[in-house]
Amino acid sequence: MKRSVADETAPAEGACNLEVVGIRKEYPGATALDGVTLGFAPGEVHALIGKNGAGKSTLVKILSGAVQPTAGRILVRGERVRLASPRDAFAKGIATVYQELSLVPEMTVGENILLGRMPTTWGGVKLDRRRAYAAASEILASLRMDLDVRAKVSGLGMATQQMVEIAKAMAGEPSAVLLDEPTSALARDETESLFALIARLTARGVTVVYISHRLQELPRVAHRVSVLRDGKLIGTRAIADATPGVIAEMMFGDAMHKTPPAVALARRKPVLEVRGLRRAGRLRDIDLTLHEGEVLGLAGMVGAGRTELLRAISGADRLDGGSIRIDGREVGRPSPARMKALGLGLIPENRKEEGLVLELSTDDNVCLANLKRWARAGVIDRRRRRAAVARTVADLDIAVSDPERKVSELSGGNQQKVVIGKWLNTAPRVLLFDEPTRGIDVRAKQQVFQIIADLSRRGIASIFVSSELEELLDVCHRILVMQEGRITAEVEAADVTLAQLFALCVQADSRSAAS
Amino acid sequence: MRMPKLPPLLAKGMLEAILVLLCVVFAFTAEGFLSFENLLNILHQIALMGIVAFGMTAVIIANEIDLSVGSLVAASGCLLAFLVYKGMPVVVAIPVVVIAGALSGAFTGVMRVAFQVPSFITTLALFTAYRGVALQLTGGFALTPFPSWFETLGGRIGNVPVPAFVLLAVFALMHFLMRHTTFGSAVYAVGGNEEAARLSGIRVGLVKVLVFATLGGLTALSGILTASKVMAGSPMVGTGLELEAIAAVIIGGTSFTGGVGTVRGTLLGVVFIGVIINGMTLLDVPSYNQLIVRGALILAAVLINRLQETQA
Repeated sequence: MKRSVADETAPAEGACNLEVVGIRKEYPGATALDGVTLGFAPGEVHALIGKNGAGKSTLVKILSGAVQPTAGRILVRGERVRLASPRDAFAKGIATVYQELSLVPEMTVGENILLGRMPTTWGGVKLDRRRAYAAASEILASLRMDLDVRAKVSGLGMATQQMVEIAKAMAGEPSAVLLDEPTSALARDETESLFALIARLTARGVTVVYISHRLQELPRVAHRVSVLRDGKLIGTRAIADATPGVIAEMMFGDAMHKTPPAVALARRKPVLEVRGLRRAGRLRDIDLTLHEGEVLGLAGMVGAGRTELLRAISGADRLDGGSIRIDGREVGRPSPARMKALGLGLIPENRKEEGLVLELSTDDNVCLANLKRWARAGVIDRRRRRAAVARTVADLDIAVSDPERKVSELSGGNQQKVVIGKWLNTAPRVLLFDEPTRGIDVRAKQQVFQIIADLSRRGIASIFVSSELEELLDVCHRILVMQEGRITAEVEAADVTLAQLFALCVQADSRSAAS
Repeated sequence: MRMPKLPPLLAKGMLEAILVLLCVVFAFTAEGFLSFENLLNILHQIALMGIVAFGMTAVIIANEIDLSVGSLVAASGCLLAFLVYKGMPVVVAIPVVVIAGALSGAFTGVMRVAFQVPSFITTLALFTAYRGVALQLTGGFALTPFPSWFETLGGRIGNVPVPAFVLLAVFALMHFLMRHTTFGSAVYAVGGNEEAARLSGIRVGLVKVLVFATLGGLTALSGILTASKVMAGSPMVGTGLELEAIAAVIIGGTSFTGGVGTVRGTLLGVVFIGVIINGMTLLDVPSYNQLIVRGALILAAVLINRLQETQA
């Protein structure tokens, strides 16, 4: 068997609980996985990392039986298997715990753990609850989880539910457990008890495949880390050797970013000032100032609080403290309607769920945030409105055959431009862009960047959130780094490299260590 | 399931096509169906339900529901009778009742917006409570304090039924409101995607309260016409009207999941139900069978709408 050079820490041949050999997955027009070979040893926690689209989730889907590989082999305890469905994968010893929990809230812990496998009596007619609870208790005891099997799941905290989910996975006595972003919904102290549970799993020889965006927690939980990029395995490292610098280089390669827009931005008038913003459990002591025409980036890992910050500023979520000033005047009780009146708009993260009304036309969506603009005494002037929509469509280069047709017929990139157009029609002073380039093609991305740059020239300020650090460096003048709901660093985009910015996002939080 | 394909023209105007076909069939089989007088009759018969259905259209487009309208028709008529009985001039009592109807609609909206009580639950409770109000106001019997001119409102001027024209006026008003005003656009946005509407700075709560208030006011109007028709405040009128109105809205192509539908479609749905009832009555179809046909019709209409959706 040919082994990749980078695979230097691989366990000895035949010693793997789970192995993938030359796995390929092709979708029409795209290769999601390009010949990945990887072995997972008994008792190890093996972290899989990579940027969005690197192929992590495709690999997880293949291992959990949800999708079939185009080519390649999967081996469980050295034996070749075909995983026809999630149920089949579970039966063959691979259990998956998904990011969205799959517990039934109104059922008890015990019932959930044995869901679909409840013991019965009376010849299979009656559920045998006593036996079920005994079996569930045994599983919990073996994991040293102190939990009442008769407690309703809906009354448990997120972290406990997560552990019930893992106990459920363990009920099938798997060789490998896949954990997909298990900590994304957990608070810091909750992750510690999760890690302790993971340690107990590995002590029993189970392999844990651990997918996470929270790279800073890997040294506390993982033994080895494998990096995927563009569907290929870049390499595997023992966790002790995986410094942030090494990881950054493996994740991003030597891709150079363009020099950021050379705007000699004399610090102009501040338009938006946020002081001491708090939202319980989400945001702590946020201070930021945005100037006229400035493009301010927010960097950070998933769950760092970037989306929460934009939503809080736009009035979408309630605040627990702090102040927001626009043009030096304090905004009392911010709401989306109030912030819009003051010239601030949010282009939300999920355009289909929060940005658009999919049942309505392009025309209606473009006008959604400023219905009054083309109306007199509440009566819409269709002709004027149609002309205005035509202008927006032309300005933003939205490819739409008929604006009267449903907006759901447009491509992702064009839909995103409709959301942006909706806010441009409110004559904004500040726009908040939350992951505006997610799921849109390269050309549309460039157009979105161009729009932001044009706005900047017209004095309209933007806050730009993206998980693609390259994009932040390309688009922004200044970048704030967020971790765990706080701003932990501020840099000029021209002064940092990609690797430096990445290190700022994942490094142990120096401020919290000091406090 | 894979849906069969329809030719595009038929797919778009399916309901209209069936309605025309139905009229043609009745024109040949039912004597007197096609006379001008009978057509006005049809409008007269369905007017009281149709007025409510137009308001209901807006409520359903806003992704809400109101089950209390049948009882509110009775309560409004009884309130009118009660006020007149207590000495209030009819011309004063009418606007008072309409405003009371709008306020009770607004109450449902406030429960929904301020306390997150689903409108289904609130209006289910009001469905019962309003019937009680009607009985309470009249002591359980029909109250008959009205002057004789009041009869014309729910009856005829010469040969022309007044409610038919109220129906058309309410149609025009609601069509304009939903199609040509910022309020109408906001209703579609709120019903289609409440969160997107909220984040676009639309005042979702206000829109919902106003939509319910509009329906409440129209329901009161229907109640007033009903009181005129029977020349009494009767606590037992309007039973089942809420379901008929909802049926007309659904037949007219409005989506039960919100954001989609037209007042024009509801007019078709209302006329459709009217034509069926009228035609079958002229043909002496027993009323039990009429109910079966009407039930089948609602299902058929929903299936047709599904067909159209899958091909759009």
